[in-house]
This record gives sequence, structure tokens and C-alpha cells, in this order.
Amino acid sequence: MERRVVITGSSAITPIGHGKDQIVESLLKGVSGIKPLREDALISRFIHSRVYGTVDYPINYEFKRQHRKTMGPVAYYACQVAKEVLEQTGLPEDFITSGKMGVAFGSIHGSPSVQRDIYRIFFEAKEKSAYQTIGAVDYLKSMVHTTAVNITKMFGITGRVISSGTACTTSSQSIGYGYEAVKYGLQEAMLCGGADEYDTITVAVFDNLLACSTAFNSEPHRTPRPFDKLRDGLVVGEGAGAVMLEEYEFAKKRGANILAEVIGFACNNNGGDLILPNLHGITETLKLGVENAKVNPQDVDLVSAHATATKMGDIIEAQAIGAVFGSHPYVVGLKSYIGHTMAACGAIETIMSLYMMQEGFIAPTINLEEIDERCAMIKHVQKVLQYPVETAAIQNFAFGGVNTILLIRKFS
Amino acid sequence: MTRQEIEREIKNIFQREFEIENPGMDDDLRETYEFDSIDAIELLLEIEKFLGSELSQEEKKQAMDIRTINQICDYIERIIQTRKVSVAK
Repeated sequence: MERRVVITGSSAITPIGHGKDQIVESLLKGVSGIKPLREDALISRFIHSRVYGTVDYPINYEFKRQHRKTMGPVAYYACQVAKEVLEQTGLPEDFITSGKMGVAFGSIHGSPSVQRDIYRIFFEAKEKSAYQTIGAVDYLKSMVHTTAVNITKMFGITGRVISSGTACTTSSQSIGYGYEAVKYGLQEAMLCGGADEYDTITVAVFDNLLACSTAFNSEPHRTPRPFDKLRDGLVVGEGAGAVMLEEYEFAKKRGANILAEVIGFACNNNGGDLILPNLHGITETLKLGVENAKVNPQDVDLVSAHATATKMGDIIEAQAIGAVFGSHPYVVGLKSYIGHTMAACGAIETIMSLYMMQEGFIAPTINLEEIDERCAMIKHVQKVLQYPVETAAIQNFAFGGVNTILLIRKFS
Repeated sequence: MTRQEIEREIKNIFQREFEIENPGMDDDLRETYEFDSIDAIELLLEIEKFLGSELSQEEKKQAMDIRTINQICDYIERIIQTRKVSVAK
């Protein structure tokens, strides 16, 4: 049995704004959320890349102590977007707690700031009493599924829990596996997404691999530069995104505000190198996604590319898009606005694509001034286009060779 | 240490660590303030700091049935008494 799956709520905390109005305004104005890297009194001074996709505005959290006590910063982000999505959908409490709704939510490695505090105790403690300062809740704040289970606790959700932790495909998998759980009748609804907090360790990892942008340290807003001739690497970012997926008939019956339909998902692995982009692997992902969505490649009119702005990654992705979709769909690299928000990127980029679909425009890839000729076989967007997007594909690829594609369609 | 001093310190801990202001001495902490097993473990750490000595595993297990502030004070008095006896021996 295959059932239709619709999106009935969405929310995001991003370096260019919190919630739809701010994000749409930033996309239309070409606002960059890339800021100078903050000092962390630990490793930041050793990092060559001095830029970060930063959430630098206050967020008014109203969480009770009973909930706050098991939450690190990453769970604050996750629970806030989850709360906003639940409020938007108007789903009643008896449904939310019925077991018919589950959660698919993840982060790349829980809360690194809490882990950092624990390690500090391990390395600095001289006496047994110092070890006792590791709190009973520190593991709950830091563990890899902390976002998912803090959401279940806060809202009393008793359905399935899926907590992907596959680096940059974490939240695209959350949405994809949530979609499959609803599509195949395992759950009536799934709250899906991902989050990651401010973390310099992630920057250090990519910096050591020479994958981070360093040439625009004094002008953060000019990087990352997906598909541009001067691109010099990715910029790590922070944030969170969540969507509610519901079975179509259920949503229709209760009079839900349907925002779009999820029509397909695919995930595969390159089956080899854990870091290098793989043309064959991601070309297969895109083909599998189109097949799963039962659409023709020419039906897709917007591609949200993973486009991290690394030298090779962008070329390989452009070639794969060209091979599967041709030069028909508009292609945008949304990380040009927010950086690479890691576990949150799939959800945030899906939500941004949804907003563009709802508002009838396509945002340009900012900083794309001169297209690298090796990425020129696809249709890039360099200025805001008023365009009625019907079908969008959101692509994400992760360390470990994991690739995903999600396809969403305007609801009619 | 007097019973009054113990009560005052426990109320301070509840305010500082658990954001619970002036709990009733016989209120059921779980039912009234959603005080759960995680809070209980945190409370034991605070009691250790207050006493300036470590609680044994056995002593910690004895605390698991505690439900009220009065029972917490009884527990601390008992611990103090046990240690006095053990020092006297």
C-alpha cells in the first residue's frame, strides 16, 4: 500500500533568519549569514578558515526546567523548530501522544559543546570528586539522538523514533525515512528534521582536509561561492529545520493547511571512498529519486544542489545534474546564503525550496559571479526569478559516501 | 547541624538547582513538581557537596524511595548520625 504524503508545517532557524518571513526576505535580498568565526578559547586560533554561518540573533525559548535539564544547545534548536511546526499544524494533543505520530530527527554528533565540557573534566580532573561534576544528564544532552528524544519528551510523542546521524545527509534522511514511514502506513504523521549547534570542531575537521574556505576571511559574506570560478571551499554553519509530514487523506479530513506534497526519496551509497565525491554514485541517486517519484526528469523545474563550494564536489554534482536532468531545471546552491549547516542542511534547504515554491520565485546562488566552465552545463540562477516552481529536487551528499534526493511538488 | 539548617540548605538547593520555590515540607515532589529520577541523582550530588563527603552506593539506594522534603531531611540526619556513630567506634 502506497499512500500520499503531504507537508503540513515547516520551520527553520538559519543564519539568514528564523521563520518564513525573515528567510524569504533574506533570499529575495541576497543576504548572507556568513560571519567571522568566534573565538572558542580552545581550537579556533589554529583554524585557517575564519568564517562561519552564524545564528547571531536572540531566540526566545520558553521551555520548562523539566525539559531544559536534558537539552544542550542543539536540542534547544531542535525543540524550538519542532514546537513551531506543531503549533502551525494544529494537530491535537491526543493525536500527538497516540503513537500514530513519530519523530525522525538528528544531528551529526549530538551536542559538541556538552561533550567538550565532559572531556575537559576527563583531562583536567586531578581528584575523584572532580569526576562527580559530570552531571547525570550530560549524556542525555550530548548523545547522538538527543534532538529526537528531547522532542518526544517535550511533546509526549510515543510513535517511532528514527535518529539518523549521517553527517550532511542527516536531515534529508530524516525527511526521507519519515516520508517512507507515512507512505507505507507505519505512521500517520512524522515530525522530521535536523539541527546542529555552533561547533568549531567541525570546522577544524574540514579545515584539516583543506576543504574549508580561507580566501575570504576578511569578507565573510563573499563565501561560500557554489559553482563560481573563485570558490575555495565550504563554510560550516549552524541551524535547524523541521517539517511535519502527514498522510494525505488524514490531513485532508482534518482540514490541515497542506503546503506541498513529498513525491519521492532515494538514498544510496557510493560503496567506496568515504570522502571523495563520486559521479557514478550521485548520478544513480538522482535517477533513483526520479524513478521513486514517478516523474520525468524534465518535470523537475528546480534543483536545490548540495553545492558546498568545494573544488571537485561542485563539478561532480553539476555533471550528475546535467546527466540526469539536462539543462532544463534551474539550479540553486542555497549554502551560498547560510553555509553548510551540516545535519540541518537537508531540512533547511527543503524548507527554503518549499518557501520559493509557495511564493513563486527562485533565489539566486549568491557569490556566483563567474560560472566555472566545468559547471556550466546546467542552468544556474544569478538573479531573483519570478517563477512558478511546480516540482523541486533537493540533493544532499555526505561523508561516508551517503547520497540522498528528496522530491517535493506544489500541492493542488 | 540542626534540623533547621538542613531544611534551609535543602530549600536553597531546590531553588538553585531545580527552580522550585518554597516547596511544602510534605508535598509529593514527583506529583507536585515533576521531580523525577534524573533530579534525584542530581540531588544526591548536591547532598554530597553539602555533607562534604561521598555517599556510598548503599546510602544512595536508600534515598530512592524519598518523596518529600521532610523525608530528605530525615535521610540527611540519618546519614550524619551514622557517620558520628562510626567515628565514635
